[in-house]
Amino acid sequence: MNAATVAMEKPRSVSRFEAALLRMLRAFVPRAPGEPLPPMPAGKLVPPKELSGDYVHLVKDTLSKGCVLYLARAGGWRRETHLRHGKAAFGRLWERTPAEELGLTFSQHALNFLVWLAAGRPEQPAWSPSVENLTPGDQLLLFLAYDAVRETEAGSALRNRAIFIQHGLVRLVFPDDFAIVQSNPPLDFDTWTEGVGASICEALQPRFAQRLLMLERHKNEIGDWTKMRQIGIAQDRSLAAFLASAELTKRPDLARFLLRALSELLVPELTTAFWIGGLQGSGPGRLAERLEVHRHALVVLRHVERLAAWTRRARATGYLDDDYAIAQLWLSDWERYRGDELVAISNQLLRQLEPLQIGGDVPADQEPPTQHVEDIRQ
Amino acid sequence: MSRAYRIKVRESMTRDIRAEDCIKTQIEMLEVLPPEDMAELLAKELERRGFERQEDGTLVRNGDGVCVTVEPCTCEVTVAAETEQRVQLEGTREGYGYDDIGPSGKTIRERLVSEVKADLERRAEQSAARLQSEATQKLEKKLAELQPEMTKVVNRVTAEALKQKAAQMGDVKEVHEDTEAGTLTIKVEV
Repeated sequence: MNAATVAMEKPRSVSRFEAALLRMLRAFVPRAPGEPLPPMPAGKLVPPKELSGDYVHLVKDTLSKGCVLYLARAGGWRRETHLRHGKAAFGRLWERTPAEELGLTFSQHALNFLVWLAAGRPEQPAWSPSVENLTPGDQLLLFLAYDAVRETEAGSALRNRAIFIQHGLVRLVFPDDFAIVQSNPPLDFDTWTEGVGASICEALQPRFAQRLLMLERHKNEIGDWTKMRQIGIAQDRSLAAFLASAELTKRPDLARFLLRALSELLVPELTTAFWIGGLQGSGPGRLAERLEVHRHALVVLRHVERLAAWTRRARATGYLDDDYAIAQLWLSDWERYRGDELVAISNQLLRQLEPLQIGGDVPADQEPPTQHVEDIRQ
Repeated sequence: MSRAYRIKVRESMTRDIRAEDCIKTQIEMLEVLPPEDMAELLAKELERRGFERQEDGTLVRNGDGVCVTVEPCTCEVTVAAETEQRVQLEGTREGYGYDDIGPSGKTIRERLVSEVKADLERRAEQSAARLQSEATQKLEKKLAELQPEMTKVVNRVTAEALKQKAAQMGDVKEVHEDTEAGTLTIKVEV
């Protein structure tokens, strides 16, 4: 063992604040989905005037290894087919994409966020970067941090900040958390449907599907009419913005999680009671408001029609058309997850909500039966 | 020795209460013919059933305080029920004051007036809630009547559209319609 080796193995030294911050960061990454979190640092810590080089090195190390490990475990390891420059690419995430296109960069804002969060989110110095100044890596960190703290006091504080209100990934995975948020800025999904953000989206497909299923399955435990309406509105906003962005960037494959979740959820025997059966009492006095709540409870099904429109366009895309490969991949997903059947089930369920369901039996006393034959000449 | 005196206040309130309930929904029709032709067939069938065509192209039928509006191009149906009522409410309150102790007569009177007004407001809200319930019941009743009617409208429009489509395709030899069974058979020679 020589001096150089001893120097490499020398443990890095950090301050108490930096140690707490590193523990917090390691609570965010890496985690296997469902793995319990280590305890978060309690109370508000006083940040030092300067952070040490060792600390910065450890943060970089944790972020670079932790984020990669997290994404690999979350779904990047799966051999899937996704689009690359309009063509289908198969394999694990790092096989589908060259390494140089998968790199995550983190700006000073990421470090400042961690300090701010560990210091108890002080008013001064404030942490309020604009969305445009954040890299996809920064935004992934914010998503992971929110996921870790959303059920704590810190989570409710983050929900009031514009950065998180506009964060596409957070809003897509946790729409119910923002059900009572008053402000309505445009949601940022452009980050997640292009470039490295889209790759992150690919890796998180199982997480998206799992969370959507969980939300839908818990709706019949919601007894409060107002809460149901608010959750439905928040879901609608997130899905509409996400699907619009995926359509614009020609990445319908990123909506695969929706097909997958719905194929697991929807069976012909389902009735609307699956969603609205738990609503307590007779609800609002006006029929219009009750109907609105019911419609919002099943809002996810309304987006199936958009996917059906994608399918119609895909079926009409010819071999020589530019988007042929994109269309074929979408059609493959559509068939794999029985898309036509999902449309039929969704329409049937949505029809059950409507007060004027056409096609019901006409009472015999309404009109006497007639039978006649006509000769129609042109 | 203190002497008690009775204070009585009376207040009245007149309020026009209006309650409404309205739903919008879509009726589904097969696109047998181009959308504008289907819209025209729908409009004609609705006119046959007492709907009046408006300047903006919608068809409207009013009755029993319920207005049904159909937009034939989009097949959107709006059903709106309204009720209005003028309520006149009166209330009284009594209290007692003493000439040597306790709050003055003016204070007691102000408190009693405030209580009566609060009571009248509460009763006005109850009347509004009752009226709202009536409007909603009216709407629900109308919807129950409208559902079979709209089913027949859609069936007739679809049948007529099929006949026209068949006539476009070739020489129609025979049309057999069984409204009881809900079947339509058209023989076309092409």
